[in-house]
Amino acid sequence: MTGLLDTLLAGLALGAVYALVALGFVIIFKASHVMNFAHGSMLLLGGYLTAVLHEHLGFAAALAVGVLATAALAGAVDRVLLQRLPQDPKAAHVATIVTIGIDILLVTDLARRIGGDLLSLGDPWGDKVRTLGPVTVPDSRLAAVAVSALVIGAVFALFRYSRWGLSLRCAAEDTEAAALQGVRLGRTRMLAWCLAGALAALAAVFLAAFPATGLERTTGQIALKAFPAAILGGLASPVGALAGSLVIGLTEAFVITYQSDLHVLGDGLSDVAPYVVMILVLLVRPNGLFGAKGAVRV
Amino acid sequence: MSDAAKPLLRLTGLLLPLLVLCALPFYLESYWLRIGLFSMAAAIGAVGLSLLSGTAGQLSMGHAFFLAVGAYGYVWFSGDPGLGLPPVVAMVLAVLLAGAAGGVFSPVAGRVKGMYLGIATLALVFVGHHLMLTMDGVTGGFNGRSVEPMEIGGLVLDSGHDDLAVLGVPFGAEERLWYFGLALLAFTWFTARGLLRGRPGRALVALRDSETAASVMGVPVARYRSSAFVVSSMYAGLAGVLIALSFRRVVPDYFGLVLSIDYLAMIVIGGLGSVGGAVAGAFFVTALPLVMAKYADQLPLVAAPGSADGSLGPTEASRYLYGAAIVVILLWAPDGLHGLVRRLRLRLRREPSPPPPEPGLAEPVNPAPTTLPAVPVKEHTP
Amino acid sequence: MNATPRAHRRATRITVAAALSALLVAGCSSKAEDPKGEEGAGGVKGGPGVTDTTIRIGSLTDLTGPYATLGESITNAQKMWADEVNAQGGICDRKIEITVKDHGYDVQKAVAAYSEVAPDSVALSQVIGSPVVAALVDDIGKDQILTYPQAWSASLLGIDPVQVTGTTYDVDMIAGVDFLTSAKGIEKGDTIGHVYFEGDYGANALEGSKWAAEKAGLEIVEQKIKPTDQDLSAQVAALQKAGVKAILISAGPVQTASLVGVAASRGLQVPVVSNIPGYSPQLMASEAAPALEGMLHMISAAPAVNAEIPGVKDMVAKYQKAYPKAPVDTGVLSGYNTALLLGLALEKACDNGSLAREDVVKAHRQLADADTGLGTPQDFSDVERPASVENYVLKPSKDALGGAEIVEEAAVAPGVEEYLKEKGRS
Repeated sequence: MTGLLDTLLAGLALGAVYALVALGFVIIFKASHVMNFAHGSMLLLGGYLTAVLHEHLGFAAALAVGVLATAALAGAVDRVLLQRLPQDPKAAHVATIVTIGIDILLVTDLARRIGGDLLSLGDPWGDKVRTLGPVTVPDSRLAAVAVSALVIGAVFALFRYSRWGLSLRCAAEDTEAAALQGVRLGRTRMLAWCLAGALAALAAVFLAAFPATGLERTTGQIALKAFPAAILGGLASPVGALAGSLVIGLTEAFVITYQSDLHVLGDGLSDVAPYVVMILVLLVRPNGLFGAKGAVRV
Repeated sequence: MSDAAKPLLRLTGLLLPLLVLCALPFYLESYWLRIGLFSMAAAIGAVGLSLLSGTAGQLSMGHAFFLAVGAYGYVWFSGDPGLGLPPVVAMVLAVLLAGAAGGVFSPVAGRVKGMYLGIATLALVFVGHHLMLTMDGVTGGFNGRSVEPMEIGGLVLDSGHDDLAVLGVPFGAEERLWYFGLALLAFTWFTARGLLRGRPGRALVALRDSETAASVMGVPVARYRSSAFVVSSMYAGLAGVLIALSFRRVVPDYFGLVLSIDYLAMIVIGGLGSVGGAVAGAFFVTALPLVMAKYADQLPLVAAPGSADGSLGPTEASRYLYGAAIVVILLWAPDGLHGLVRRLRLRLRREPSPPPPEPGLAEPVNPAPTTLPAVPVKEHTP
Repeated sequence: MNATPRAHRRATRITVAAALSALLVAGCSSKAEDPKGEEGAGGVKGGPGVTDTTIRIGSLTDLTGPYATLGESITNAQKMWADEVNAQGGICDRKIEITVKDHGYDVQKAVAAYSEVAPDSVALSQVIGSPVVAALVDDIGKDQILTYPQAWSASLLGIDPVQVTGTTYDVDMIAGVDFLTSAKGIEKGDTIGHVYFEGDYGANALEGSKWAAEKAGLEIVEQKIKPTDQDLSAQVAALQKAGVKAILISAGPVQTASLVGVAASRGLQVPVVSNIPGYSPQLMASEAAPALEGMLHMISAAPAVNAEIPGVKDMVAKYQKAYPKAPVDTGVLSGYNTALLLGLALEKACDNGSLAREDVVKAHRQLADADTGLGTPQDFSDVERPASVENYVLKPSKDALGGAEIVEEAAVAPGVEEYLKEKGRS
């Protein structure tokens, strides 16, 4: 029973961190139909800035700088580069590939700066753990769950109640109609990118914090795990991103715990399992768990 | 120049590059030939992906998996442990196997669309990698397997079997494989163009532009979508065979996510939906980083690898250049190298003399995808 | 076709002329020349990479990928060796030149780099990356180019031109289990965990630990991980559930640190033993440092960098002078040691009268007791057997240079010889 609870909590914590990344993917996709391959390197940038600055500014200020800088960069990438491209959703693949180029540039530069170092982000949780009834949980993981819940709640509120959220939803529904109604598409889109960048930088903190050892040049690759999470829930649905992330986190944790019982399928299943779950879901619901069916009118 | 001479000039224009390509093994070191072979294999795979993504509008990030099926299929059909069949037969079977693998996935490919399919196919890469490591009886596990050399009519396309020399130039593995690669690429080029210009190609273009319209016009949507997936997988399988032959040993780690993303980059950089574009994109993505890494230390500020700490190494310099090249090219020409060349050609034709009306020759197929304007939109102010 | 005869003729002429000139020029291609001469300076036979004045050595390394730190240390150390040798007149009256190619852990780049470097090199002083080595193994065998992979899997034994230096991962883990039973009170009937990377490294280490555990009557609980796994909470939870009394780990430094950190925080205070690639001095700057110092031990064929061995002290001093900013880690030691061993092989080959590749390999195989003064001597005469079976036990240390110190001096773990015999390797 302890084992089960333990696994459940580990999975939830993992899922909470994935959710921050996956939500960023989804926001960007909803706003611009682009799959942002540079998400991992933006995450790395946020983490790197926090790591370098925390000794001078303290953790909170360093994190704020990291988050803002990453948001600014993401916004600039969209405004200066991607918005120059044709804006048709059917041509979004071009922007998607441009993000690969940006990813290469960013990762090369950051990897050169980080070198072989393991950077500490100076987070306040350290390696402290808390015992909750029968299970122990690291503070950093509890913080991850709390922060994710807060941030995701705030993002939902933004979506629902702010002018920007309304613009974004309008634009996602019908770009031309939105433009005709006076929605400033360029700005709406750019702000979405900024928000996603900020979320990625925030995720970097939890990816580098305690159960992990620190930030290194490959930390950004974790963003890949958010791909299935984002798709599983439905690419255009923030709720889906959250649900998908939790499913992926739990799947991973359970497969690790019961690895020895799943021996027949070969070892090291934990990396494959999320994708298998994703395929199964897509077979039943081709647009993800929360994706709209999208009726076709002739 | 008379109109009538044009087809002949076109013929010369085709033959000349072919001749140059055939003469290259007489000059280039095996290093260059190997890069050429990698690029040819990539070109074959990219043409397949271009059929799928550019024409049928289906995004696939699982191309590395089908390459792996082709490569390992060939190794198993021709080698020991395996069936030990003659290499040519093994190659054909490997291509069919890759097609079958695509067929198995077609329930998903038929239902799931766009980005969703892209990420869904991502699963193939991870599941494939897991299988390659686990099924060591077939795949050799982590360390992979040696590849049986190709053998055509008694001539083994590998060094060390005989001392073949042509015009005094020793013909080793790379030189021999070069011509085999060229032949496969030519085969791919013509079959893919045939497909695109024929009925299936038109149906797929209709499908890409509007699924609803296509189905109203009588295109069996799901069937075409699945078969596009199968055909594209078969080209990937062929590319896998050529990759295996030029690597001489297949290892699972090569067929990873990065490779899949590279293929996606190839077809977009080349220009979606065009065979020539896919080939150009394949050379761009495969050969450019290698060539740049080789010559980057000639650049100012770039030091030889391992010379001092803190300095910019050639690999890093080439990564910067490569990343920047992707961004710049696509910003400048969102329709890729193919669109760039077409626009240049139009401009060249227009400027010296007003172009004569030439209905039969002007870019017969591949109408510019309706979604991509021929002239890039400079600033889109909403 | 209704082409005018004139245009027709012109087109044909162009084609034919192009074809003819292509073939003609091909005839005088530089590739048609004969390979380099047989007998060189000093009556020593030459070969690829050898001229009358230079010996060229290739090096396929990773300076921009996941093993960049290791790659840089090895590359620096080997450059330093080449400079030293050249300052003393070179080997066989020839200067040493090392051509370094960075593949960034990309198999395709590495394969291309190999065909660039190999035709003009007598040996490869380092090849980093198990998948890279695996992809090149056939070519290396065919080209008979003496190669020192920076990977220590037993699957690389038995290939004549490939030389794994020191011990292999399986032998290390046998020593690891022995250390647990002899020094850490693990007894028959206990359960121990083994967390390992997928691939060659992990598989080979597991082979050793399973064998040793069976002999010692222990039960092994396996956890396979990937290099992208950086948070090992779930794995530790699973091991704790299984009631392990000790943990073996064959992964990277980041994974080791996470494992030890999580175990400590959950109150799983058990000894942890790692292969040496699972540790790096950078970990001493992380939050897991106290837990690592308290729980971790490493099994290594090479001594710690701060060891009181004259050769090591001398090398470290020189390295710190040459690369004041670079960290001194095990990569430096391993790279320098490999270079010295390659130097011995080349000198031997020179004495034998031939620097042709296959003769360099032969000369290398004649070195039955190669002692570079950097730890334990190595025996290269049996291609099937690890070059050494002696292991040190190290532990992390914040203050020590290189972040580690020796706990137990080099020794052969009991059972190793029996294991090798069983596997047909001696």
